[in-house]
Amino acid sequence: MKVSLSWLNDYIPIDKESYSSIADALTMVGLEVDSITDRYDYLDRIIVGRILNIKPHPNAEKLKVCDVDIGNRVIQVVCGAPNIHEDMVAPVALPGTRFPDGPLLEKGRIRNEISEGMLCSEAELGLGSDRSGVMILDQKQLIGNKLAKALELSDVVFEIDLTPNRPDCLSIIGIAREIAAIQQTTIKYPETSLSDSSNRISDFTSITIKAPDLCPRYAARLVFDINIAPSPFWLQDRLMSVGLRPINNIVDITNFVLMETGQPLHAFDFDRLSDHRIVVRQAKKGETFITLDKKEHLLTPDMLMICDGEKPVALAGIMGGRNSEVTESTTRVLIESAYFTPVGIRKTSKKLGINSESSHRFERGVDPEGIITALNRAAQLMSELGKGSLIEGIIDKYSKVINARAITLNVGDTNRLLGTSFDYDEIKNLLKSIEFNVEKTGNDGLVVIPPSFRVDIARQVDLMEEIARLSGYNNIPTTYPLIPAKARQPEKQFNLRNRLKRIMAGFGFTETINYSFINRSSCDSLRLESADQRRNMVDILNPLTEEQAVMRTSLIPGLLETIHRNIAKQIKSLRLFEVGKIYISRGKDNLPEEIEMIAGILTGSWADASWHSKEIGCNFFDIKGVVEELLNRLKIDHIKFTCMPDNSCTYTRPGHTAQIFQEKKFIGMAGEIHPQVLRNFDLKQTAFIFELDLNVISDFISETIRSKPIPKFPSISRDITVIIDKDLESSKLLEIIKELGEELIENFYLFDVFEGDTIPQNKKSISLRITYRSKHKTLEDNEVNYIHKNITDRLLKKFDASLPT
Amino acid sequence: MAKTIEQIYEEALREIKSASNIESIKTLSIRYLGRKGVITHFLRNISNLPLEKRADVGKRANDVKKSLDKAFNQALKALETKSLQKDYKIDVSLPGRAIQQGFLHPITQITWQICKILEKIGFDIAEGPEVETDHYNFEALNIPKNHPAREMQDTFYVSDNIVLRTHTSSIQVRIMEKLTPPVRIIAPGKVYRCDSDLTHTPMFHQVEGLMVDEGISFGDLKGILTTFIHHIFDEKTTLRFRPSFFPFTEPSAEVDIRCVMCRGKGCRVCSHTGWLEIIGAGMVHPAVFENVGYDTTRYTGLAFGMGVERIAMLKYGIDDIRKFFENDLRFLRQF
Ligand SMILES: [Zn+2]
Repeated sequence: MKVSLSWLNDYIPIDKESYSSIADALTMVGLEVDSITDRYDYLDRIIVGRILNIKPHPNAEKLKVCDVDIGNRVIQVVCGAPNIHEDMVAPVALPGTRFPDGPLLEKGRIRNEISEGMLCSEAELGLGSDRSGVMILDQKQLIGNKLAKALELSDVVFEIDLTPNRPDCLSIIGIAREIAAIQQTTIKYPETSLSDSSNRISDFTSITIKAPDLCPRYAARLVFDINIAPSPFWLQDRLMSVGLRPINNIVDITNFVLMETGQPLHAFDFDRLSDHRIVVRQAKKGETFITLDKKEHLLTPDMLMICDGEKPVALAGIMGGRNSEVTESTTRVLIESAYFTPVGIRKTSKKLGINSESSHRFERGVDPEGIITALNRAAQLMSELGKGSLIEGIIDKYSKVINARAITLNVGDTNRLLGTSFDYDEIKNLLKSIEFNVEKTGNDGLVVIPPSFRVDIARQVDLMEEIARLSGYNNIPTTYPLIPAKARQPEKQFNLRNRLKRIMAGFGFTETINYSFINRSSCDSLRLESADQRRNMVDILNPLTEEQAVMRTSLIPGLLETIHRNIAKQIKSLRLFEVGKIYISRGKDNLPEEIEMIAGILTGSWADASWHSKEIGCNFFDIKGVVEELLNRLKIDHIKFTCMPDNSCTYTRPGHTAQIFQEKKFIGMAGEIHPQVLRNFDLKQTAFIFELDLNVISDFISETIRSKPIPKFPSISRDITVIIDKDLESSKLLEIIKELGEELIENFYLFDVFEGDTIPQNKKSISLRITYRSKHKTLEDNEVNYIHKNITDRLLKKFDASLPT
Repeated sequence: MAKTIEQIYEEALREIKSASNIESIKTLSIRYLGRKGVITHFLRNISNLPLEKRADVGKRANDVKKSLDKAFNQALKALETKSLQKDYKIDVSLPGRAIQQGFLHPITQITWQICKILEKIGFDIAEGPEVETDHYNFEALNIPKNHPAREMQDTFYVSDNIVLRTHTSSIQVRIMEKLTPPVRIIAPGKVYRCDSDLTHTPMFHQVEGLMVDEGISFGDLKGILTTFIHHIFDEKTTLRFRPSFFPFTEPSAEVDIRCVMCRGKGCRVCSHTGWLEIIGAGMVHPAVFENVGYDTTRYTGLAFGMGVERIAMLKYGIDDIRKFFENDLRFLRQF
């Protein structure tokens, strides 16, 4: 909402010098002033110049070529105005000027003669209505001075960012009311002096409301014998001060009254209304309508239409129709001033995608009692400025009276909510300053009737806000709540997520956050099968781009895109991870399943080459090591990696992918990205990933830790090397040892794998180290030897293995 | 003829003096003081001496042993010091062996900072779904369908009744349905609005707070937020509360801080106002309480919400919000 101080000054005395404190004060009562500009800023490149000499234009009879002194230099200007003469002082627009009616002045040639500027008329500069010739300035003006400075033109304009609850401030008077409350003055409302001694209007027209729920009130007046012409300059000037372009007297008056009072009006060409009457009704199914902007709309029965005797003539409260608009030849006008129900207007304007000054106000709520004032104001201006004759009488169909609400306010409750100590009088004065009617009731109570334009005030707490904002939020004492020292456990996942992030960072992985939405085609890029549940994506009905059209069902596409972006910037070794949700659709009308996942990705080298070591590449076992240690840190035991069956994971390389189990529960996977997937993401280097489901692993996390005694007696370590089939998974050997449950075995691990050389083809040698320890004594060699031999024999027998020769 | 203890002592001292390296000192030390050394040998032979001399000689031999031990140690230290000074030097200016440490995303770090401060004040953490029903995201928060307030947030729709949550306030209602007052929670998380430019991304992060109990006042809201801002920025940060509008709070407030970039002089970041909008807040609207069945005559509540990206941008001097989700390592490594 734009307001100019010059217009505000019509209703309330404004000290122009203190504009910035007015702006601050408005912001602090809730009308946020977004920007402060001067409406004459567009005159910035208009200079006071003197015409030195005038030559005829060689190629055009009506044009002249002038040399114009603009202070620091002399420029050549082509001009066609009849009133120019040598030694004349006049405004010169320099290239770059944007004129109030739109065009931008550029340096150029006019009929082949260079023109470095333009001599301007009053009208061209938006400073008057005279367009007959170049504006004549006083000879005493300083040449080269800026015009705005020379003529002392200045008018500060506030752009106010209004919240949707304050439609009453969508007008100059509305803002003036707030300033009046701040400055503790009263505002001067414009006066109308219409004397209706008869009700002649009903001889000419009638109004029927067939949809009172959508249109509780509709009023109209008639003005005849109108002469459509440009508005007088004062009226144009008011409109231009808030950035509106003048059109003709009738349109300008409706706009003027709209801006002044906030009540949208519409002027119909009375002679284009069939039967000369108005019917307010809902649209018929299949009906179409062409609005002022020449667009055709298909109507639905929930839309409210203003109709004449036979057809729709306006989209109620939103936009008028082509078929009834005021034109050059209009002589008789019906002025509409109405109250339309906000929800109805909003539904229609949203459905049709039309947002007008009028719909903007109706959908927020206009003043139901301000309708007649606005109508009278417009009628009077039209009869005065359009030289028309007002038809006496008014039609006011007010089928559903919108009552003023009386609200009871308790002083104690107010102070308790705000943390203040207002008394009755203070509250009364604050509310009265914004035209609320206040009466005392009982000991601690007030009965408040808000003015009809404050459609946002519905309950006690709304009044409390008024009191708070008018007294100033910053004047409310700052206090601290007294709260019991209690705490709730955060959800399990919250702690887990944060632990995971810290651990991963410790492992050298950097956290990324990718968008939750991805391209629908990502499923194909991951080669997901048609039955894969990750194809059940949540569609966004109104996505910003195709790239962000569905909610992700995997973290992998985001990570692959991220490494692609980084590789493109020459960062080729990356360790990244993300903790975030994936969303699996459960049908359009249900909330999707949101599963929190962690995924890591590793590409390039594990360690760069340096002066003390060569580059270390990365492979599957690097990512596996990360997962193992991650689970280890979380104290999740009994983890098993087994080969991912072929076709079970389409986006990783067959034979190079593991599924991860805790006991028998699948918790995730780790593997190398499938070469085809790499190509789909335009990646030229391989990458290793892992994925774990947080919901699942959080079940295995125990919050309790029990410490164990540190061993007192020494341990003995023994190695076993066996030669087994190459295809046998090494973990099988370890499982056998585990199955033994030998209590003297403290721990065991695989420390070497060897193939080739002396090892037969299709075989490999596996070396294990077993550590023995007793809790009760120092072990003897022969005790250990006995168990160790037992294990060796068992392995040999079980896997048809042999010992190295 | 066996040497006297004095002879042994003098000889040993002489040899120590002339020893030129650590190895020879160690050898000498073993020769004199070792298990089969000269002194040990001497002591063992004391029994061959006449009885009356044994005590004196024995004592003297032990003193010599101690003195020699000391002499060896001193000689050793002196030689070591000398040799370390002469030893070759390493190039300490060479780079160290790299430790690979990852970086936490700045949004994670700022979210943790925000949550930590608010947890100290007494809030518990709550979470909820990101794809949310129209009811929890709007209706229950007093934002009916076809109300202009819906325009305040550009919403991504999944269906007529399902949206991507536009704020984490949706958790407020879910929590209040489950708990009876006192309630004090903060809800950190991702939110979505269809908007994209230098200061808007379609996904961003919020932390929302809610406190409901008997006697919670607007003054308390000011107190909590003042404490919070003084912690997340610094004690000197000036702040102001000004009226605003949110359908789920009444009175509603916008909390501004003095621009951290220009200290209030006016700059591009604060649109030359000297102030930065940082938190939306207010007293919980009674309609919201009615929706969850709380007694509005007994309980009042305060609520507030802030954008994590915005705070991160101000704290770290980041000018383009989109950087947070491009995940350029050169950006992420700065935090
Ligand atoms: Zn600034």
